[in-house]
Amino acid sequence: MCIVDCSNKTTRQINREIRRNIETSQPEILLKHSGGRHNLAVAILDPVRIIIEESVGYYCAGLIDGPTVEIRGSAGWGLAEGMMRGTVTVDGNAGNGAAAAIRGGTVVVRGDAAARAGISMKGGRLIIQGNAGYMSGFMAQKGTIIILGDAHGALADSMYETQVFIAGRITDLGNDAVIEKPSKVELQEIDSTLDRFTLPRPKNFQKIISGRKLWNFDKRDYDSWKEAL
Amino acid sequence: MRTFAKVTNQQIQDRFLRLVVDSLQDVRCLERAIESVHPDIELVSAGRCLELVKQVGTPADLETSFAVSQFKGTHGIGHTRLSTESRVDLSHSQPFWSHGTLDLSLVHNGHITNYHKLRRQYEQNGIRFYTDNDSEIIGIYLSRQMESGLGFEEALLSSLDDLDGSFSYVAATATSFGYARDCFCLKPLIVTENDAFVAIATEEIALNHTFTEKLDSREPTNKHVRVWTVPGKSENSDA
Repeated sequence: MCIVDCSNKTTRQINREIRRNIETSQPEILLKHSGGRHNLAVAILDPVRIIIEESVGYYCAGLIDGPTVEIRGSAGWGLAEGMMRGTVTVDGNAGNGAAAAIRGGTVVVRGDAAARAGISMKGGRLIIQGNAGYMSGFMAQKGTIIILGDAHGALADSMYETQVFIAGRITDLGNDAVIEKPSKVELQEIDSTLDRFTLPRPKNFQKIISGRKLWNFDKRDYDSWKEAL
Repeated sequence: MRTFAKVTNQQIQDRFLRLVVDSLQDVRCLERAIESVHPDIELVSAGRCLELVKQVGTPADLETSFAVSQFKGTHGIGHTRLSTESRVDLSHSQPFWSHGTLDLSLVHNGHITNYHKLRRQYEQNGIRFYTDNDSEIIGIYLSRQMESGLGFEEALLSSLDDLDGSFSYVAATATSFGYARDCFCLKPLIVTENDAFVAIATEEIALNHTFTEKLDSREPTNKHVRVWTVPGKSENSDA
């Protein structure tokens, strides 16, 4: 495993060093002393493993396509934003907008995720072992969100075709979010996903999908539109 | 001549005159008396234990001018301002002292969108504004709420309903400090605490610069207030 010591380096220098290591076919890269910097390990397009020993700032592992990024601390806003493929795991908590607008891959937050986790997801999977913040899944279009803890307010607000599975309590649902019972096949899939990341397998998942009332304007649904806007 | 307080010590520090006073009757009267000397004079802060210093420039300059690292106390708040709307000068800099209330000060990140409406209401009641900075209104608000009988935490809680816009602010009194966060989590705020300390910052990098140990930081939820009381002190006790 090659080591990148981030001490006294700018974010740009660190990211360049990561790329140089990838070009020399290093399969595993360890970032030491990252000091909570923003924009670490962004736009990595190769299937390498990057381990970051400390907490990170905003937009860590954003715009990636393929790597596995493991963060041993907490993450700031916009974790893995816009990811195409790959896996991003955070041992601590994640700030606002974790897995925002991802198109593929998996984001695992072992702690709590703050507000708007999975906002505008267009695919992929977000797993939150702790609690999910306010408005998680807001306007999410495709993909899956699995929450093992509780969800704060406005869960799955104005969603499209994303599916949310939650084991804990829901403070309140967002606009046009509907609870239904997950199928056996779906529960099996969740279990195998959780096993893959050695996460506990809680029972009693609820599934939340869109009620589809806000997809197209209909005068009869005026009240729900007024509420949503 | 009427006596508002007895000056026992005075010192010039940068652009401030620091006065130690005894027998203070009414801080508002003292404030008016000091500011009536010249229109450019402002009472920047007053308190039994609050030391408030600020200047236009870098944190390193602040350290050079005031040796902030030598300050001793139970809690402190700081702010580096990126001005978006109002002027860049000493008065508009943060932290803001809540004029008229001893020891109450705050730092704010965000934008109070009902600032002009609230300001008009306060001005109609004779309250003076020193800046065009919307953050100033938070101190005025908290001060008035506490004067009307609310505790520090209650005042922070009521601000969640009465202030519009985006805000993460940290306020402190002689005995307590706490944060308030708007209903949409529009401005960042992270908190870490252990048996030794509580630290609140905008982002992880600030905590990393300050502490060497591994911290478990988290972002508070929306429309949320949390207050800590300094051990051994109650909200109503003297500092």
